[in-house]
Order: sequence, then C-alpha cells, then structure tokens
Amino acid sequence: MKKRFINFTLMILFVVLVGAWIYTSVRDEFLKQSRASQRQTVETVAAGYPSEPEDVDGWLKRLAEDVNDYKVALISEIPMPGENLSVTPKGDIELSKLTKDFALDPEFSKGFDNAAYEEIYRSVKNWTVGSKEEQALFFAPAVSLKTHDIEGALIFAFNTDGEQGFMRMLNTLFLGAFILFAVVIWQLMMSRDPIVGFALAGLFLMTLTFVAYPLFEALRLSFIENGKFSLSIWKTILNSEGYLSALWGSLKLGCWTATFSTLVGFLFAFVVSRTNAPCKKLISTMGVLPVISPPFSLTLSIILLFGNNGLITRWLRVIGLNFSIYGLPGLVLVQTMGMFPIAFLTLGGVLQAIDSTYEEASLNLSATRFKTFSSITFPLAIPGILSAWLLVFTTSLADFANPLLLAGDLRVLSLESYIEVTGMNRLGHGAALSILLLLPTLTAFLAQRFWVAKRSFVTVTGKPSGRITELTTPTVRRILTGIIFVIVFFLILLYGTIFAGCFVKNWGIDYTFSLENITEAITRSTDALFDTVTLAAIATPIAGITAMIAALLIVRKKFHGKRFLEMLLMTPFALPGTLVGISYILAFNHAPIILVGTAAIIIINYVIRELPVGIEGGIASLRQIDPSIEEAATDLGADQATVFRTVVLPLVRPAFLSSLSYTFVRSMTAVSAVIFLISARWYHLTVLIYNFSENLRFGLASVLSTVLIIIVFGAFGLMRLLVRENTNLMKNVT
Amino acid sequence: MASNKSKSVTFENITKIFKDPQSGQDVAAVGGVSFRIEPGELITLLGPSGCGKTTVLRMLSGFEQPTSGKIMIGDNDVTNTPPNKRDTAMVFQSYGLFPHMNVSENVAYGLKLRKVPANEISEKVQRFLDMVGLGAMAKRPPSRLSGGQQQRVALARSLIVEPSVLLLDEPLSNLDALLREQMRVEIRRLQKSLGITAMYVTHDRVEAMSLSDRIIVMKLGKIIQMGTPSEIYRDPVDTFVAGFVGKVAFFPCEVKGINSSCNVEIKGKNFETPRWSDKLKVGDKAVVMARPESLSLGEPGAGVEDGIVTANIYLGNSVETWVKTDLGNVLVQIDNPDVKKIWNEGEKVSLSFDPSLTKVLVDDLEKE
Repeated sequence: MKKRFINFTLMILFVVLVGAWIYTSVRDEFLKQSRASQRQTVETVAAGYPSEPEDVDGWLKRLAEDVNDYKVALISEIPMPGENLSVTPKGDIELSKLTKDFALDPEFSKGFDNAAYEEIYRSVKNWTVGSKEEQALFFAPAVSLKTHDIEGALIFAFNTDGEQGFMRMLNTLFLGAFILFAVVIWQLMMSRDPIVGFALAGLFLMTLTFVAYPLFEALRLSFIENGKFSLSIWKTILNSEGYLSALWGSLKLGCWTATFSTLVGFLFAFVVSRTNAPCKKLISTMGVLPVISPPFSLTLSIILLFGNNGLITRWLRVIGLNFSIYGLPGLVLVQTMGMFPIAFLTLGGVLQAIDSTYEEASLNLSATRFKTFSSITFPLAIPGILSAWLLVFTTSLADFANPLLLAGDLRVLSLESYIEVTGMNRLGHGAALSILLLLPTLTAFLAQRFWVAKRSFVTVTGKPSGRITELTTPTVRRILTGIIFVIVFFLILLYGTIFAGCFVKNWGIDYTFSLENITEAITRSTDALFDTVTLAAIATPIAGITAMIAALLIVRKKFHGKRFLEMLLMTPFALPGTLVGISYILAFNHAPIILVGTAAIIIINYVIRELPVGIEGGIASLRQIDPSIEEAATDLGADQATVFRTVVLPLVRPAFLSSLSYTFVRSMTAVSAVIFLISARWYHLTVLIYNFSENLRFGLASVLSTVLIIIVFGAFGLMRLLVRENTNLMKNVT
Repeated sequence: MASNKSKSVTFENITKIFKDPQSGQDVAAVGGVSFRIEPGELITLLGPSGCGKTTVLRMLSGFEQPTSGKIMIGDNDVTNTPPNKRDTAMVFQSYGLFPHMNVSENVAYGLKLRKVPANEISEKVQRFLDMVGLGAMAKRPPSRLSGGQQQRVALARSLIVEPSVLLLDEPLSNLDALLREQMRVEIRRLQKSLGITAMYVTHDRVEAMSLSDRIIVMKLGKIIQMGTPSEIYRDPVDTFVAGFVGKVAFFPCEVKGINSSCNVEIKGKNFETPRWSDKLKVGDKAVVMARPESLSLGEPGAGVEDGIVTANIYLGNSVETWVKTDLGNVLVQIDNPDVKKIWNEGEKVSLSFDPSLTKVLVDDLEKE
C-alpha cells in the first residue's frame, strides 16, 4: 500500500513537471507571438510618424478613428529622468490622462528612457486606461522622417483581452487535464476495481456539476445585488405584499388540491380494494390515466368547457349563472383531476397491504361494517392518507403548467418566479422566489419521507389474501360507485373535449366541422415536434443506463461518501421544476460552463430530473436479486462492465424499461424547467401548446395535445408489453 | 484430466479486519491465519458460524481483500488480484445461477468470456453436463430444475473453466438430507477425477469428515487445528475441537505421570492413555476425552462415573444409550446390540472407557 502510494506520488510529480514544462512553453510561445505582432504594429505605426509637425494632430486623429485594437498618445518632448512632463500629452484622451498622472512612475520613466534611445519598450505590468482594464503599454520614439530627430515619445495601449482569454482557457484546460489524469492514475494504481472507480468519479462529477453547482449558484445570486453581497433581494421579497400573497396563494392552492385529491383518491382506492363494486378495471384505469396526461391538456379542456367562451359556460349563462373558471376554484378543480391519481396509487397500495383478516376479526366480533371501517380500516390507513396528502401538496406547489393558463388573479410562486425571469429579466428575484417555494415543498417531502413513512402500521405478511372483505352495505356502495362514475365521466368528457377540439373550426365561436386546425398545427409544429422527440430520445437511454449503474453502485458497493452521492442524486426529485430551470440558466450562462441555448442543457436537465425515479426502481429491483449471481459472473472472469452488461441489465430489465419509458414520457411532457431552457434552435412542443393557448388558438393547442397524449400512451403501452414478457423470469430471480 | 494444472494454495499470516457498521469499531474476522493446501488436495474449513471460514474462502476467491498477509496460488502472489483475474471458480451456497440463461448458457458463460470458439464450447458444455448427469436438461431454465440439479449446474459451470482451485461455499446446505449425501459423493468423485485443488466451507462435521483430505478447524478467526479427519477425531488439540467434530464425554482427572504414555487418576483408579496434550505436566488437573464408541456400561460403582439411563435409541447396527450423570448427559454407543446387554430406561449404571481410544486434554471446560 505504502509502496503504491509512493509510486502514485512520483507519477503525479512527473506529470506535474512535464505539464508545467509544456504549460510554460505553450504560454510563452503564445505571448511571444502576440507581443511580437504588437511590437510589429508599434514599429509600423511609429514609422508613419509625419515629417511635418503640423500634420501630427491630423495623424493622431486618423489613428484614433481608424483603429480599434489599440490607442495612441503622444508627448512631444521626452522628459529627463526624474523630471515631470513639460508638455501635455496629445491623442487619446484617456491614455493622455494616464500618461500625465503617472509620468513619474518607474514604468513610464523606463519607457521614456527607451524611447529616447530609439528603442521600443513594453510595460511589465498591465494598466487600466479609463474604463478599460488590463491594457499593455508600449513606448516608442516619434522620429521625424525628414530630420531623423526624436521629436517625442508615442505611447500605445493594447487590449490584452485575447491574451487574458487564452491564458484562462489554457489554465482551465491544464487544470482539467491534470485532475482527470490524477483520477485516472489513482484509479488504475490504487484500486483493484478501476471501472467502478471511474463510474463513481463520473457520478460524483455529474451530480456536483449539474445538481449542487446550479443550486449553489441560484442561492448565491439571490444574495447578490450589483455584483456585491447584499440582502436586498430577500428584503424586497419578504417585505413585498405581492410576493407574500403569491406564497400564500401557493400554500392555499396546495392545501385545497391535496385535500380534495386525497378524498377522491381514497374513495377510488377504497372502492377498488374493499368493495365488490362493478367495473373495477375501468375505475382503476381511469384512476391512473391522468397522471401521465401531458401538461395543459386538462387545463385546455377545462377552458374549452368552462372558459369565458366555453361550451358549458354558454349554457349556464342562458340560465343566468355567471362565473369565471380562472382563479383558485378552477385551479383546484383541474389540479385535483390531474393529481388525485397520486393519492389513489399511494392509498391503493396501503389499503391492499392491510391484511383483511383484521377486518374479518372485527366483523366476527359482531362490529358493524361502519364500526369496522371507522375503528380498524381507517386508523390503519392514516399514515398512508398523510403520505398521499403531502405528496399531492408537493406536486401542487411545484405545478407550473396549470397556473400558467388558469391562475387568473391568483398569484402563485412558481408562476411569479417565471414572470420575474422572463418578463422582468430579474434573475436574482426569480431565483429567490423559487427558493422560497422550495421551503414548503422540501418540508412536506422530508416529512413524508422520514416521518410519515416510518409511522406506517402496514406490515408485509408475505401471504396476500385474495379475498376482499365487503365493508359496505349495498346502498352505501351504490352511492360511492355513483360518485366515482360521475368523476370518471367527467374525466372522459375532458379527454373527449380535447379530441373534439381538433375538429372544430373555432371553438367558442364557430362549431362547424373542419380539418383546418389539424393541417395548420402539423405544419406549424413539425420542427418543435422533431426537437421534442429528438431531445427526449437522446435523454432516455442516458438516464436509463445511468440510473441502473447508480443503483448497482449504491446497492452493491462499499465506498466513501455513499450517503452524500445518494442525496445528490435524489435531490432533484424534491426540487420544483421552476427552481431547476432558473438555476440552470443562472449557472450555465457564464464561464466555466456555458450551455444556455444548446440542446445539451435540455438533455442534461431531463437526465438529472428523471434519474431519481429510475434509481429507486433499480435499487428496489436489485435488492431482490441474490448478490451471488453477480459474484458468480465475476468469479468466472467477467469484469465489472461485462457483469453489468451480461447479468445485471438483463435481470433489472423491467426496472430499466420502466425507467426508460418514464424518462421518455416526462421529457416529452416537460414544461416547468424546460420553458426556461428552450431556445430558438431547440423548441418544445408543450411550450408551443402554451403559446397557442395564450393566443386563443385552442384548436391548434387541442391537436398538439392529442398528439402528445397519443405519444405518451403509446410509450407506456409499449413498455407494459415489453415488461409482461419478462414477468415469468422475474419470479425466479430470488 | 487436469491434474497437471492443479496448484497449491498458501496463506501467509492473513488478517482481515472489518469495521463494525454499528459501533464503527474494528473487528478481526480473521486473525493471522497461515496454511498450505497441496495440489489436488481437498481441504475443508470447519467451524461454527462467525468463525471466519467464509471470509477465508472469499479472500481466496478475491471478493474480500486481506488487511495484511499474502495469498499465493501456485507460485503467483494473488493478494491484490481482482476476482475476475484469479484462476479460481466458486460454487455458491445459493448457486448463483443466471436466471435469464438456460442450463447450457449458464455453463458456457465462463468459456465465452475466455473467447473459446463456439463449436468447442458446445462440445465441452455437453461433455460437462453429461459428467454431472444433466445432459438432457441443457435447454431448461434454471428455475425448472430441482435444488440438486441446480447444484450440479453450478458445479459444472465452475469446473468447465478448469480452474486451479475450486471453491465451495456450504454448497449442500440448501438440499435435503438424502440429496446431500448423494452430492457429497458426487463432488468428491469429480474433484478426485479432475485432480483439482479444492477448498470447501461447511459447519457440518459429517460433511467435513466424509469429504476431506484434511480439515481446518476454525474458531473466532483463528485456526485451532489442521489435520486429516481421523487425526481431528481421535487426536483433537483441545476440548473445543473434540466437542465440535463429534459426540464426546469428558471425565475430570489428575495427571500422575508422563512417559511413553500418560498416567491419569480418576476417583482413585489409574489409567494409561496413549495420547495427551503436550501442554500438560504432572500434577495438572485435566480431562479424559472419550467418544461414545469407546464407552461401555456396567453395574453401578464398577466404572468411573455413575448415572441413570434416560433413553435408548435403536439404530439397527447399534444402540445409542443416553446416561444422565453429574458430568451431564453422556452418549454411549453399543455396537452389535443383539448380542450385548441393553440397559433399560431408569436403571442405574456406571460408565467405563477403553483407555487406548482416549486422549487427555487440558481442562478448559466452563463450569456451571
């Protein structure tokens, strides 16, 4: 161990020495070249010094007008060493002022001295000339062509931007190369498992760069005003009634949506798992469907039905009812429709896991069905109910798409930060607002993760009873099923409306059948559709494979900083999309990493945001697999990469496939983060839908929504088909 | 077949320290272990769970790296070689068959990694499957095989790569008793016919006795004794080994003299025993270790310890009689029960032993 460490140190020392040698020679060569060319310019210009004294002013003026990359000043008499200037410098005003102010500076004295001996001198340090920093000064003699007398000294100020930029690039390049080299050598020399080491180094680098760094930048910029540390942004926000009302609006919306969604979700879950209601398959399907419907689609159909020119609004107006869907009630309605599936999925799992033997025991002890429900089933489900409420609350707070179209007068934080950034160009304010939004979101997320989840009474008995304990009387069952069917009907109506919207000439005004919208939408969206699919298709395999590698490392390998890496990988799950979007444009619009406007920033954003779900799936599925299967492959001579390819990936195929389809679907339907990251070159379909809706082109928006719905459902259908092939295999993996 | 390829294994002062995840303290799972396995030999690591035997095996396979010491396979130092670069093949307790490959794909896996030509692979796979009696099952998925058949696939998969050392990690613990006996014979037959060096880990003393050329008995991360099965059984170094490898009774005694044999006194009676622990000196308090087959029963007062018969277990070729004494419950094996006297339950008896079959050991038994 010690010997290897010494070897490593020697190797690094060697690399540093060689690197330093290459670095200095490259730098010196470049500087020599650049300075030689500057010197050349100086010589040429100085040689053009007019022979007639009356031409000098015109010559200086022409130089100032024609030349951009340097400035010239002239003193018509060179002072003796140690004496001040006897004349006022002419030429460039700022350079003249500098010359006057610093004429006694050693650099200037030396420059004058050299000029007096007909030599050209370059200042050792760089000077600030007027507003321009880092200028290199050259001193040259002004020689009259006619008399060959030295008539004064010319002072040149050259921009060193090019030099500075080159040095910065060189530094970054060498530092980066050195770090890369050190990591590679370290892995190859110190570890028996270099591939694992490289994978870990890659993951750490990725999460630090694309999770920690942007968040840090967002936080930092919320504390910066005019380039200095300041609390003024936070002071403005916390003192402004408008921003605080937005916070209040977000919380209000979150609470209402969470409450209604939990109620509806519980109703669905209860009817499916605890009663003999008819059409359970349909109820389950409709209870899950909205969770994968693209953004804007439900909002769009709500507007088509209940908006100011909506179909139903018209009818209601006829009977004298006047209302506006824009604002809190409309948002709660549309969010509940879109988010109750989260509650349904959570509670469905919880209710199914509660052993119905408890309820049978209660009924057997002659409790009534209602008593059984209120004293057994409901108390056991309370942690699940809290969990569902908090999950929906988080989702509602982070929701961006629905408020964008439907908020009306209601102010919510996610929207407010978007307006700050895109409308007012106040990035710091936007960052601060989205951080403000993170606080309740993160609190709810952590409460759900660590507090509620631990208080669950549900235990896995390992013998699920196929039976269902009927907990309702026929009347109650009919009422509950009735409510559910109303909701299901409403959902079908919403989807139907979008579909109908495609074929109507001008919704709200002219309901004649027409295919114009379809043809127009297709011609206008081809590019965006192509971009959207391309970006999602690139991000999908990257996210899927990275998720499986990360899951494998977390489950199977021991390494330092595992908790930290896990935290970094999982963080994006709890972050509102607006915060991610804002922090990305803040972090990647300046050196060292400039990505704004590229496809890369959108793809990276997809990968980072969808990784957590894939990793969780991978972890769950790897925990089911006996580690000795992988060890057997290693033992037979497979290296880590081969084990991953030939054993791990095939075994976690269902998790891998669902991570792929999840990433694809979420990338196709992304909006909250991506709206900040799109550019003229790379556009997103959802933003196009938003633009069409904003311009009241609901027909076009309907067509695009339908297209997205078809793509999304298609992707999920394909995934389920592929996974089903695999289920037989998975039963035998343990 | 591959006997010229088999290699020796050497452990030189191997220590493995783990960090306890709860307390964060260092725990020595293996502390200073040295031994050598000769080419073609089958060595069993025997010991109670947690004694470090699996850690030793996993260090030889490369899945764990020793904290200090040196591991050699043949003349090569493999201490820092990763598992996939070592010439070892392991048969896992849970088999570790690849569930997404059928039987022949499982067996062919190692050959494919070694870039063996396809026709050679299929020929060799068939030969090895025939050898373990699974020639007809080549296309089945592992999930459609019985436990014993899965074990054979795992064995064939390890043997086909012709490793220098075969490692077996409690391979029979998931099988029922009858299958276990069959597989024991099978493993021994294959190992011998291939002449392969093997290390076998088990906590089952019968398995260890019936399979091994030599046995290493381990306790708390240390080797207590290394020897042939009969040495371990007849000539254990201490009461722990004596008790771990078979039923045994200990009679307290005093050492009276040590010459060509050891003279001990029990309750005024003197015995000459041919084996004794070399840590003993004249005058020490010690114990005489006696196996069930060296014990016999007689009228009360005639032997070295009196007791009451509590149970008789008839096994056909012998009867096992349990006697309750002040020293605890003692098992006596009576061979040829049809011609010998069997004492009834509840009868008072005394225990005697045949001194030529016993050994005197240091008395390190814990007294209640």
